[in-house]
Amino acid sequence: MNARAVAAWSVACLFIVLFTTNPAYKLVVLAAAFVTLVTSAGIRRMRRLLIAVACIGTFDAMLNFVSAHVGRTILFALPDSIPALGGVYTLEAFAFGASGGITIAAAIFAAAPFSLLLQPHDVMDALPNALSRTGTAIAASMNLLPVVVTSFGEVSEAQRLRGWRPRGPASWAEVVVPVVLTSVESSIQLAESMEARGFGSASRSAFQKRNLEWDHWMVIAASGLAVVLFIADHAMGGAKDWFAYPSLTAPQLDLPGLIACLLLFIPVLVWSRRA
Amino acid sequence: MPSVVHPGAGVVAARLTDLTYWYPNSALPALDGVSLDVSDGITVVAGPSGGGKSTLLRVLNGLVPHFHGGRIAGHAQVAGMDIVRTPTRNLSRSVGFVFQDPELQAVYDIVEREVAFGLENIGLPAAAMRERIDEALAEAGVEHLVGRQVRTLSGGERQRVAIASVLAMRPRVVVLDEPTSQLDPEGASLVISAAIRMSEAGRAVLISEHRLERLMQVAAGLVVVAGGQVERHEPSAWRRGRTQIGTMRPAHPGPEAWSLIGVTAGPAGRVVLRDVDLAGRQGEVVALSGPNGGGKTTLLRVIAGMLAPQAGSIERRPGRIAYLPQNPTALLHRPTVRSEVELTLNRAADREDPDMILGTLGLAGLSERYPRDLSSGERQRAALAAVLPGRPDLVLLDEPTRGMDSFARAALIQVVAQLRDAGSAIVLATHDSELRDALADRVLLVCAGKVTEQGAVRA
Repeated sequence: MNARAVAAWSVACLFIVLFTTNPAYKLVVLAAAFVTLVTSAGIRRMRRLLIAVACIGTFDAMLNFVSAHVGRTILFALPDSIPALGGVYTLEAFAFGASGGITIAAAIFAAAPFSLLLQPHDVMDALPNALSRTGTAIAASMNLLPVVVTSFGEVSEAQRLRGWRPRGPASWAEVVVPVVLTSVESSIQLAESMEARGFGSASRSAFQKRNLEWDHWMVIAASGLAVVLFIADHAMGGAKDWFAYPSLTAPQLDLPGLIACLLLFIPVLVWSRRA
Repeated sequence: MPSVVHPGAGVVAARLTDLTYWYPNSALPALDGVSLDVSDGITVVAGPSGGGKSTLLRVLNGLVPHFHGGRIAGHAQVAGMDIVRTPTRNLSRSVGFVFQDPELQAVYDIVEREVAFGLENIGLPAAAMRERIDEALAEAGVEHLVGRQVRTLSGGERQRVAIASVLAMRPRVVVLDEPTSQLDPEGASLVISAAIRMSEAGRAVLISEHRLERLMQVAAGLVVVAGGQVERHEPSAWRRGRTQIGTMRPAHPGPEAWSLIGVTAGPAGRVVLRDVDLAGRQGEVVALSGPNGGGKTTLLRVIAGMLAPQAGSIERRPGRIAYLPQNPTALLHRPTVRSEVELTLNRAADREDPDMILGTLGLAGLSERYPRDLSSGERQRAALAAVLPGRPDLVLLDEPTRGMDSFARAALIQVVAQLRDAGSAIVLATHDSELRDALADRVLLVCAGKVTEQGAVRA
């Protein structure tokens, strides 16, 4: 798996999903991202991600449904006297919320290969030389995250046994302050370790620079073509946007826009072979 | 003029001459007029916590003063380079440094990438790296770990990968700052074997270490650092000391203080302990031994009630619990050591004088210091002082002697013995055989989810 190819594909997916308001195209991109992940990472490794996406997407859809009391197709109504929830509940609000949920789900799936398919060193290897030091520092700091999480658990447990109880936001200082101090000290120690191994002493070389092979180029080319085709189609009046209000209409698909989104399925062919 | 110390007998790899160093905003020097020659072979650096060992070691690769700041006077040379004028990153080609905590040294996620990190930093071409990496992995004894993810390694394996990553730079001098303090005996033994191999390969190796038995058999020199000054001792003159306890033991342990019945437990749904039946009494010290990752910390957390069992039940007599976590310094957040003790006493509504425990643990002179400014051994004592006052009913200590010198260990033994004699039930997880021998009424082996009684230690 090449991080540059993954980045190109992710950017293309994110671009189309965020560029258009049309849920039909978003759905195709969502399907492309989902199938790509399933075939290359496997459904087992995606379990937590699927739960998170389902929760976030559903929450986003429902938030719009219960808070946007507009639209002509009324499904039911709650008394206006109920704070925040009172008012009409419409099909349009539900559809618009669902479109937002699809956007979020597609965006998360598009970015997921960075954690599911790549190791931090894959990303660092893909960075241009000018960003090598910055990338290394970021990757090193990411290694501290588990330390911080562990520290939070340890400190809150130990403070509880010293008699601390959470009583309002101010009381959390006794947990948060030691965790922050420990994190800062851990960062300093990591920086010491990096300095002691010559970090910043010369222009960095790389143990492994992964060359782009034909299948990586295929993904990059397909991703670029998808973006260009979608923009061109939109500029010429195709790939029409969609808006749920005031009356719900079916989103329209046209062939060039659809082909652009279908190009994002290319990794299914090449990454599944490598996985 | 201070005396010059020559710990080794061979070629001088590093030389400090009348070196004095002050940390930023400190009026007292951390190193005071130190003169020292470091030669090939192993030089053991010993001395009390806070005496200046880590500072001395950090001078050798320039972290002091270049990384830590402060003022420095005198001269220091390593491998022909002036330490005061040469940045650490440039000294790294001649001086390798391995730190105490194996978790806070890794930059990359794969073993051979981690070993290559330093080589990338000095701009070595990729074609030349492979040979150096293989050579360093072999010298550190971890060639079998190629391809493994660093986060899946044990503490001992991680520490040896850290050693390999400095050896790949082919340094003249290798400095190890308490590299085994967080490891179980097996991991520590492997790290010390790696240090011995390094010296056999012709390097000068400086190692600050509390487990001296094996090292002293092969050491070329012993340097004791105390109060910022160094003294030379012959390794052959070193003798293993044993801590004596001067407390009276109660005739019999009291009633049952805690019990686990058929407990299966582990964090995040994992099973670390399986079907454990266990109990402890008031006035009894139970020591948990076993390898890192065997389940000792999980068992302590279950007894403390911080981790609910997946099956089985726990019973505890009501009363205050004192718990020292594995990383005790994470507790410390008050402005002074004394205020840490006072916080615990106030919460326990206990009128005990804070000076009592501060004095016993040798912290009287440090009571007004900011705890996080202390050395690692002093911090450990400060954390103990923060959790132990006020006559707790149940005392749970996770690796309480980590990084402690012999004085601090003796003080801890004294405090724990007093608590035991006052009727506290005590459970301690430790790799420290001296602590176990001194205190434990029973030793339990915690390994692979099982807890096995190893018999009574004391009559």
